[in-house]
Amino acid sequence: MTDKQWHTLLSVIRREPVTPLPVGFIIDCPWLPNWFGASILDYFTNDEIWLNANLKAVREFPDVMFLPGFWSEFGMCTEPSAFGARATFPGNEFPHAHRVIRSIDDIEELPAPNPATDGLLPFVLNRLKLARPRIEEAGHTIRFAVARGPLNIASYLMGSTEFLTALMMESDKAESLLKKITSFLKDWIALQRETFPTIDGILLLDDIIGFLGEPEFRGFGLPYFQELFEKDVAVRFLHNDAPCRVSAPLLPEAGVNLFNMGFDVSLRDLQELTGRKVALVGNIPPRDVLAAGSPADVAQAAKDLVASLDDKTGVLFSCGGGVPPHVSSENLNSFVTAIRS
Amino acid sequence: MSELVEQLTMCIERGKINAAAPYPADLRGREGADELTARALRESVGPDAVLAACNEGMRRIGERFGRNEVFVPELLMAAKAMKAVMAHLRPFFQSGSVKAKGSFILGTVAGDLHDIGKNLVAMVVEGNGWEVVDLGVDCKPQKFVDAVKAHPGCTVGLSALLTTTMANMEKIVKEIKEQFPEVRVIVGGAPLSADAAAKMGADGYGADPQGAVAFLNSTT
Repeated sequence: MTDKQWHTLLSVIRREPVTPLPVGFIIDCPWLPNWFGASILDYFTNDEIWLNANLKAVREFPDVMFLPGFWSEFGMCTEPSAFGARATFPGNEFPHAHRVIRSIDDIEELPAPNPATDGLLPFVLNRLKLARPRIEEAGHTIRFAVARGPLNIASYLMGSTEFLTALMMESDKAESLLKKITSFLKDWIALQRETFPTIDGILLLDDIIGFLGEPEFRGFGLPYFQELFEKDVAVRFLHNDAPCRVSAPLLPEAGVNLFNMGFDVSLRDLQELTGRKVALVGNIPPRDVLAAGSPADVAQAAKDLVASLDDKTGVLFSCGGGVPPHVSSENLNSFVTAIRS
Repeated sequence: MSELVEQLTMCIERGKINAAAPYPADLRGREGADELTARALRESVGPDAVLAACNEGMRRIGERFGRNEVFVPELLMAAKAMKAVMAHLRPFFQSGSVKAKGSFILGTVAGDLHDIGKNLVAMVVEGNGWEVVDLGVDCKPQKFVDAVKAHPGCTVGLSALLTTTMANMEKIVKEIKEQFPEVRVIVGGAPLSADAAAKMGADGYGADPQGAVAFLNSTT
């Protein structure tokens, strides 16, 4: 992210008018490698390909704020790998982590990972360290510490059905797991911040929030997000593209000041639900429109989105969720042009 | 008798599995679906009536889910209570005294390890009198093809949570349709819509487990 983009993002969060209207997208392994012409496995295993793909994106779309920007990641395997989860990397498909908790009693035995040495985390950090001079040469700065959220990691470690059932049946053990994961995440975020002092934002990605009712979110989500979204960073960014109507009113209390959602709730409704206390990143349909639509469809969806809002402050125009596979440059350009005009 | 059946319906709706289950807190220590089913069968409530009581419980919680009054964890608990009932009813299905409506092959598509939606659908569909063949998660096209071959006349359900695995879902639908054009395929999952389902060539889209049941029942 360039300094100019960073300051624009801060203006969005402060709900200041921004002209032209700002555009930003979350980009990572579902879209970037194949758009660049590399396989997903090459993108993960070759630092040069990873860097060049990211550099190409920022150069080809200078008017787009890519979030978190130069995201060093191994898909859903990143954090679970530190807990010992087996990671599967099919050649040109998305990696996935296998569960490590077979029985609720395994939670007690789960090791507390060291983010400096465990799983794929040293690879994540070292890739970014090695690339940093070239990232900065290109006029960009590493601004975000990034991690999957505690509920998301718990569901990978345990299996989502088992984890959600444990919340209801054995809540003390589920809480113990969440505490362990949160403690690890705090260390992981602190390490990222220590390694890159330019970091002034935290991005947490957690779709499991979307499956919870309010009492469950208050009990099993809110306290942990409050702990993780440290108040001394300028941007506290949450991604949850599963349902968000229940959790949205609680986001300010969770410490969130920037939110990327799905597309099932309109930005206008979300402005109301969050009391206009959270800046929004969204939300044309990612797959049906941004990926599968024509450039004209994308332009129309973008114009409709802008027209739907009386108050356009506090919005970073985007799709609902991250950029999905097979989105063409033409469609991205069409979105940017429509929003900025 | 009717009080027993109503209690069973309530246990399904509230997700009360058995007496030992701590959930829900206000029913702690009371009989759950497991004990009530055993008692009902002992007291000559027929398996069809037990199944009907369970379906009523699932219908009630399904409606509350649709109204955002309860969420996935509550639905999972209801499905677990239903599973406890099905353990008692399985012998009746096996003996043929209760007839299955047909076979439903279900799996989460390749690349996706999320099983919430699939498990919910499996449990609710099974509770509605279908034989469910659960292929698990991360299922490649061939796994579905093999299962279809082994269960002539079946219907297939594909589940996905990740937007990123929808391409795999489409591949599987095409593969099944190419080899077995007569087999009906229903898809479901958070990133889908009826439009997306139609575009990938599926015969149906289930927004929730009840939607899947409605689709299946429409095929009988």
